[in-house]
Amino acid sequence: MKKKINTYAWLCILLISIGLRAQETKPLIQSKLEGTVIDAITKEPVIGASVNIKGTTHGVVTDLDGKFFFQTGQKFPYTLIVSYLGYKKTEVVVNQNAVVIDLAAEQNVLSEVVVTALGITKDKKSLGYTTQALKGKELSDTKETNFLNSLTGKLAGVRITNSQGDMGSSRIIIRGETSIAGNNQPLFVVDGIPVDNSQLNSGGATRDFKNAISDLNPQDIETLTVLKGPNAAALYGSRAAHGVVLITTKSGKGQKGLGISVNSGITVSQVSTLPSYQNTFGQGSNGKFSYVDGKGGGVNDGVDESWGPKMDGRLIPQFYSNGVAVPFVAHPNNVKDFFNTGLTYDNSVSVAKSDDKSDFRLGVNNQKQLGTVPNSEVNKTNFSVNTNYQISPNIKVGVTANYIVTNAPQLPGGPLGGRAAGVMLQFLWFGRQVDTDELNNNWNQNWNNSYYSNPYWNAYYNTTSQQRNRIIGDIHLDAKIIDGLNFRFRTGVDYYNDRRKYTIKYGTNGTPFGSYAEDAYTVDERNTEGILQYTKKLNDDFSLDALGGFNIRNHSDANNYQKAPRLAVPDLYTLTNSRDPLTSSNTLSRLRVYSAYASAQLGFRNYAFLNVTARNDWSSTLPSSNRSYFYPSINGSLVLTDALNIKSNTLDFLKVRGGWSEVGNDADPYQLSTVYNFQTAFDGNPIQTSSQKKLNENLKPETTRSTEVGLESSFWKNRLHFDFAYYNTNSLDQILEIKTTAASGYNSQLINAGKINNHGIEIQLDGNPVQTENFKWNVGVNYSKNTSKVEILDYDKQIQNYTIGSSGGVDVLASVGQAYGALYGTAYQRDANGNIVVGANGLPKADPTKKILGHYTPDYLAGITNTLTYKNIEFSFLIDASVGGELFSGTNRTGDYTGVLAETLPGRDAANGGLNYYVSGTTKTLLPAGATAPNGAVVYDDGMIFKGVYADGTPNTTLLSAQEYYKASYNISEAYIYSSTFVKMREIKLAYNFNKSFAKKLGFQGASITAVGRNLFFIYKDVPNIDPETAFNTGNAQGLESLALPTTRNFSLNVNLKF
Amino acid sequence: MLKKLSYITLFALSLAAVSCSDTLDDINKNPNATETPLVPYLLTGSLKQGADLYWGADNNFNSSLLFVQHWAKIQYTEPDRYDVSNTSFTTLWNTGYATLITDLNTIINFPADQANSNYKGIALTLRSWTFLLLTDAYGSIPYKEAGLKVTPAYNTQKEVYTGLLEDLKQAQSLLNATNGSVTGDLAYKGDISKWKKLVNSLRLRIALRISDREPALAKQAAIDATSDAGGLISSNNDTFKFTYITSPQQNPASAWFETRDDFRISKTMVDKLNELVDPRLPVYAQLPSDASVGKYVGGANGLSNSDANSQGFAKTSKPGTYFLTSSSPAVIASYSETLFNLSEAVARGYIPGDAEQLYKSAITASFNQFGITDATVITTYLNQATVKYDATNYAKSIGTQKWIAFYGQGLDAFTEWRRLDYPVLKAGPATVLDGQLPSRFFYPGTEQSLNGVSYQAAVATQGKDLLTTKLWFDAK
Repeated sequence: MKKKINTYAWLCILLISIGLRAQETKPLIQSKLEGTVIDAITKEPVIGASVNIKGTTHGVVTDLDGKFFFQTGQKFPYTLIVSYLGYKKTEVVVNQNAVVIDLAAEQNVLSEVVVTALGITKDKKSLGYTTQALKGKELSDTKETNFLNSLTGKLAGVRITNSQGDMGSSRIIIRGETSIAGNNQPLFVVDGIPVDNSQLNSGGATRDFKNAISDLNPQDIETLTVLKGPNAAALYGSRAAHGVVLITTKSGKGQKGLGISVNSGITVSQVSTLPSYQNTFGQGSNGKFSYVDGKGGGVNDGVDESWGPKMDGRLIPQFYSNGVAVPFVAHPNNVKDFFNTGLTYDNSVSVAKSDDKSDFRLGVNNQKQLGTVPNSEVNKTNFSVNTNYQISPNIKVGVTANYIVTNAPQLPGGPLGGRAAGVMLQFLWFGRQVDTDELNNNWNQNWNNSYYSNPYWNAYYNTTSQQRNRIIGDIHLDAKIIDGLNFRFRTGVDYYNDRRKYTIKYGTNGTPFGSYAEDAYTVDERNTEGILQYTKKLNDDFSLDALGGFNIRNHSDANNYQKAPRLAVPDLYTLTNSRDPLTSSNTLSRLRVYSAYASAQLGFRNYAFLNVTARNDWSSTLPSSNRSYFYPSINGSLVLTDALNIKSNTLDFLKVRGGWSEVGNDADPYQLSTVYNFQTAFDGNPIQTSSQKKLNENLKPETTRSTEVGLESSFWKNRLHFDFAYYNTNSLDQILEIKTTAASGYNSQLINAGKINNHGIEIQLDGNPVQTENFKWNVGVNYSKNTSKVEILDYDKQIQNYTIGSSGGVDVLASVGQAYGALYGTAYQRDANGNIVVGANGLPKADPTKKILGHYTPDYLAGITNTLTYKNIEFSFLIDASVGGELFSGTNRTGDYTGVLAETLPGRDAANGGLNYYVSGTTKTLLPAGATAPNGAVVYDDGMIFKGVYADGTPNTTLLSAQEYYKASYNISEAYIYSSTFVKMREIKLAYNFNKSFAKKLGFQGASITAVGRNLFFIYKDVPNIDPETAFNTGNAQGLESLALPTTRNFSLNVNLKF
Repeated sequence: MLKKLSYITLFALSLAAVSCSDTLDDINKNPNATETPLVPYLLTGSLKQGADLYWGADNNFNSSLLFVQHWAKIQYTEPDRYDVSNTSFTTLWNTGYATLITDLNTIINFPADQANSNYKGIALTLRSWTFLLLTDAYGSIPYKEAGLKVTPAYNTQKEVYTGLLEDLKQAQSLLNATNGSVTGDLAYKGDISKWKKLVNSLRLRIALRISDREPALAKQAAIDATSDAGGLISSNNDTFKFTYITSPQQNPASAWFETRDDFRISKTMVDKLNELVDPRLPVYAQLPSDASVGKYVGGANGLSNSDANSQGFAKTSKPGTYFLTSSSPAVIASYSETLFNLSEAVARGYIPGDAEQLYKSAITASFNQFGITDATVITTYLNQATVKYDATNYAKSIGTQKWIAFYGQGLDAFTEWRRLDYPVLKAGPATVLDGQLPSRFFYPGTEQSLNGVSYQAAVATQGKDLLTTKLWFDAK
């Protein structure tokens, strides 16, 4: 331990001594330079390009007219380095005369400048790994309220699982799941500050709380860069295993004069994937129904299923009719009618300005979302500040701050909302004759009172609110010490309070006294880093770019939960208004990691590069003997076209690259010693009990070793770009809370074993099939395929399965020898020929041995974007596909059982192909069409036979009623496993950018209008009644659909004005 | 300038290193729980959790209590139709092993200065009771290696029962009023003599469990249990029970009925009590909420959801308020059960005595337990031909009356009904086991994935993991 402190102290001293040295250089002379950066082809100004004086820290950014200005102590002539994302980096030698610099556009790479780990920009061609970036506009144009959704289909190797409903969380996975049990989502870094992306209380929550990164306002994002996996992210050491998403926010750099940007958008949302309901038979059972009290007082009126009478207008008392028999008719849209048209208003204003010493940008954004579920609403306001000030010629300081207030008075009830709050739960047990208007007329009455309260009652009275106040910010300092040697220091914080309030109203079915709970979280993530960077051209052949640095990370999160389980009086939601002692819990979790790192890039003749990185972490979550870990990486690139001096009209550029890295993933806090928990005391007697989890005092961090090779090329004067990557990742020493048989004494044990392999390929293609002065057609394609295999769980090979999660009797497993995310459940019992075996009663039998029924991980993902640009009009559409993989659908399972789905119609009467039969005792006897039953017995016409064989192999002939038939597979998981393949029309966008001159006539610097449609329709999908792409939480237990909220189709119109 | 920059750097550093003085080890010290539990708190927890397990929904009124037709479901009838899966019976296993047995082992393994031998005797007794519940329900279970291995092997019922007899013998030797006081004992308030009686009553219970298989061993165990100086449970005051208080520490059945309305007393039980003119009927059942019905009406077992529903929520009888108030006790080992067991031990010739008199005392004890103390009422009842002890078929007399006396104690009622085969119960019309009733619980489905080799070995010996597979003790 002492050693670690010493290391830290050493770093502190180093840092201060650097600071002391940093201001020895003084300005000598004043020189002024004006210039303009323009696009080499279009001659349009390039806005926001960085212009640096080579060998110094002097850097400015071009303004809205592409102009820049320097006033420095540098002697003419000097060299300017001009770079901008998507353009070739250009060096120009300048004298004091104003210059115009042509910047050659280059989609996709070549000498493109890219952001790499720690926010350091590098020539893309020097890297031995892939990164991929998106501009902020591509995120903000979509108007997604969770901006992660807008990444879908745009990045190779990045899998986004979109939110369920319209207000939920999204999950992002890069290159497959490399951790069997841990968090698999990448690290998010905003302007150098690691930012939290937790989804707090995802497991037991009745609502789909948004993951924390969705707080960011896409309007503030300049670029988003994805470091795909360990090779690119190695400098992040123990946080690098799942890749890193680097976000750079907009600043005021290059804004000469006051620039004001106003953005105003409105989005209309409709529910798009509701189940397909049948509209022939209404509520009830065995064809009978009559309403008295909705809880068994009438005929089958306690039954919340639709196996009742035909909805042919016959007269039956219903819930709103006070015992009067009224027509029993279908309300085909009774579920759809419950949902509203969602509306989102999004308005932002930003103000930016810069001069030769300082720059700033202030932004404010307000978003108000009224959801499709009645009464659901989220309001979010972001305030952002980004400012830098040159305090001396060699020292620049700056501050960024982002204050975010999220206030959601009511979030829509998800599948875990249960009877008091779940939205789709009730609608999959909904009587098909129910008139939703009548429900809305009187919230005190309901179509069924044995299980539910009125859905409007639930939506308006049983609420969950969320209030999150968050600040993300840093202060930073850049200093030039001597030529080529720079020092950077930054300390940043991400701090938020997240407070949820759960109310259930007095008189709610199942919670007669109501309840009230408060759940409060505080998350605090602080990072401080110092980096010394040295760049030098060693001689004509060799160049060196090296850095060394340290990071100190402190993270804590605290939770406090209190609940009044039964209210004393109605409608007063306080914790003191309780009949019972409050149930409460609180936890605090802290960790600290010290890190030291270094990297070096050696370049040879600007076509061969070797990069090495090294990092050592010391984590508080590991035992002192295992605390210190070293993470190395090495990669290289070779531009063959330059090295071999290939000159070709076809091949412009060809680069090969490759690398190896080792990164890690530390443990959660407090995983070393087994503990005992307190439970609510009994009558003054405290209770302690085992936590049922055996911990491990010898934990090591998880290790991920990754090899990556790739090839990058461009053809026909950059008309076509091609990038290919292959990676192979082995993750070892996984920290697994292995479920164990309780008979071992614990329900789980923490082990440090397990190995999972992921390998795959990624292809990016970008081409311009047509390119004329006024018209351009661009096609961007990305494709990725990841294959995973769980190789070992424990080193003794005793354990074959690790349970990631469960729902509806199906487990999601990491199973040895299988791909990650196996769906494991009951299957039909089958004979040797694969026929389903039925019992003497004609019902299918479940195989007593559970089976692997599928995997949730897709085989491959693909996205294709077509962009057509004609003068100022841009039209684009994105189609994306996820092919392969399976899911278990609770919606289909429930809807079959309750007879509400259209797919339960076949066989329900003669018109739908049902067989005639009569009943004697419990035996159903088949009748030929038109025949009458003996002794005047009643003839039924809903006879069905389950396709299968008896135990002796003879075909099943036993009749079932349709009701029995459709319920027969409820406990056989296999029946509700579907392929999750889909192809979606994800996005269609039409944008118009006003001519600069025209805009100026109107009094603007610039103006644009964008119309976007998102999640428009499925081009193809396999699973009926649901959207296969829904995740209720961001955890690893995916592939389990359970009464998911319907996804929405969104149309937005957005106007952007610059003053 | 130099000063300025130093200040800035120091300022920034101080922001970062506010708590530099904490060591990494300090930071990782868990502030939320303790590594060192206290014995009385573990004991209280074990008693509470044991009672919840035995009296709660999963093992009692949503499974075994339906199987023995004490209660019936009026909605969600799947378990009443035996339409259950291997995810249905996980609570008994998981809580039994990972909570009860683990916590009790912690007490047993404590050094003597942290837990005196009375704590250890009590812990061993409760652990034996837990193992007994497990083996009665599932059959072969991990016993010898339980809590010691990640994938413990299963032991046969014979091994478990004989092992438990030894464990209880040891528990008896650990318990002694002079061995120190016990706190946290919510059942017997630290009265060691009562624990000693419980131990002997459990030994007698186990003796009869194995009586059809290992008569010689059973006889010896019965003799040991009845001749031990500690004695047996000898009054309703000695009954081993856990008494709940108020919400949220209320009786689990009471908590259930507060928010849900799924259960009725079984028609089988109502019919039997009516047949015997049994004064326990008003204790066991409530009048239907529809006053026009005016008599006790049971719900039939094993109906389809709609047929169950159609019986009318308001026209059928809920279980008696005796069982549904928040402070209703969870009775775990009653005086009447001990008397029935003594009666049977006599009838089997294991010990001397008057089987009929013991049988009568057992019924009387049950009446008293439920608050019926009028001697004339009791005598009238006992003298009915339908109630009288039948020495030619003690299993029928004892089985039927034990079944009634066990009302609410689903797991033990289920076990004794399987062993004694009385009363004769019929599967309901919509049940799914081809007319049979369940003979055991499924193993948790997770055993297949988490302890597969041991599980397969156990199933190979015991028979398929089905509800209808008869267990070793259930010889007939």
